[in-house]
Amino acid sequence: MSLLYNTAILLGKELRTEFRSRELLTTTAVFILIVLVLFSFAINPGTEEAREFAPGLLWLAILFASSLMFQSCFLREQTNDTLSSLRLAVSDPFAIFLAKLIANTLFLLLTELLMLPFFAIFYNIPLWSKLPVLILVLFVGSLGISIAGTAISAISAQARMRELLLPLLLLPLLTPVLVVSSLVTASLLDREPFVQWKGIGFLAVFDLIFLTALWLFGEYLLEE
Amino acid sequence: MGKRIILGAVAILLVIAAAYASFYVAPEERTMGVLQRIFYFHVGSAWAGMDAFLLCFIANLLYVWKRGQKYDWLGVSAAEVGLVLTTVVLITGPIWAKPAWGIYWTWDARLTSTFVLWLLYVSYLLLRTLIEEPERRALLSALFGIFAFIDVPLVFFSIRWWRTQHPAPVIMGGPGSGLDPTMKKVFLFNVLAMHMFAAFLIVERYMLEKMRSEVDILKREAEAQ
Amino acid sequence: MKNLNSVFAAYLIGWGAFFLFYVSIAKRTNDLRAEVERLKNSLPRCK
Repeated sequence: MSLLYNTAILLGKELRTEFRSRELLTTTAVFILIVLVLFSFAINPGTEEAREFAPGLLWLAILFASSLMFQSCFLREQTNDTLSSLRLAVSDPFAIFLAKLIANTLFLLLTELLMLPFFAIFYNIPLWSKLPVLILVLFVGSLGISIAGTAISAISAQARMRELLLPLLLLPLLTPVLVVSSLVTASLLDREPFVQWKGIGFLAVFDLIFLTALWLFGEYLLEE
Repeated sequence: MGKRIILGAVAILLVIAAAYASFYVAPEERTMGVLQRIFYFHVGSAWAGMDAFLLCFIANLLYVWKRGQKYDWLGVSAAEVGLVLTTVVLITGPIWAKPAWGIYWTWDARLTSTFVLWLLYVSYLLLRTLIEEPERRALLSALFGIFAFIDVPLVFFSIRWWRTQHPAPVIMGGPGSGLDPTMKKVFLFNVLAMHMFAAFLIVERYMLEKMRSEVDILKREAEAQ
Repeated sequence: MKNLNSVFAAYLIGWGAFFLFYVSIAKRTNDLRAEVERLKNSLPRCK
């Protein structure tokens, strides 16, 4: 199917571009680290309460990092107007979005996994046994963040004050992801851990709904 | 013009009648006393606000599909009126909560979801101010409006689930509390009145937007001279 | 009636907000009408 083929090619381009310099990955990872450290200064770390806040703080850090990470997503296609070339190269503009959102999810997930050891150490939370489910939660959550983030990045790239506009548009939209991901992560890392499959299901539904919306309306986001 | 005046007059009459009913027709509630009467105004505004946002969503879809300017005018009008109504909901909620619960904000599921809704449509209007070209502004804000509206049920469900995990005081009775039949009639009358009033405001705002668009065209002609 | 102040405050602020919104629309409409007059007068002059 040509959509998958085009997406694969574009995804390769996105990954190659990033891994050549790795600037997005490194800056995002360092940003999450800084936010985690700053959160520790803002609250009283090492206490039982801090351990309760920790999952929420992790997702908050991820959200803030993502609103910075997605700035360049469509902005970089404005220099030399590479966006026009992309549009000409593919028959279905959804391939462009699909490639970008898969790449963004991968980058987010990578930075999150890099940050997990620091998170475990700062907040004194043993993660190892719960790692598989934790990665699943990080995945469905990050996927939702990426889908919405890629769409909003396309919008804010065409407006003024885009650095401030992107988080302004994205963060209210992602409230459900923050709420549910934090809840599921908190239950997972609790003293008596249990998996809230209902929450993971909800995140999957969120992802599906926004992916469908992007599929239906994506081409208009890229209109000249 | 005549129709607009009739709409306005009917809306204002209904609203006055609804307020009268809220105070003199509806019986006093047992536990909360007169404070409960805020409920008619608060929830009436909330429902009208949600319907205004629904209208905005439909206008957004129509714009993306048909690209008629009038859909853009309708979208921004409905969004602004919806935002004013939602602001009133967010103000009257805490006014109720303070005497009832002792605190202004209780993170009640419905009020919190309404707050996120308010933020989404504030962002919608802000986005519009940041794009100058009229057609691009119309298209991009319509697309964001669509994303925002489909997010609304997700917001409500997620926050409701969140509150079942961390229970908090509920504003004006939970889902279980029933309404006395007279109260129900007064309530529905208030809902009708607020909808009519919202419709009146939307029409007025629409006419302003239509005029503004025509003036822009005139301006461009004048500059071209 | 103890909470009457709150009820009055709620209705007053609420209707105040709607009234202000309507007034802002009416004012902007009048400003626009004035501008239309201004523009209409400037057009024939240039011709």
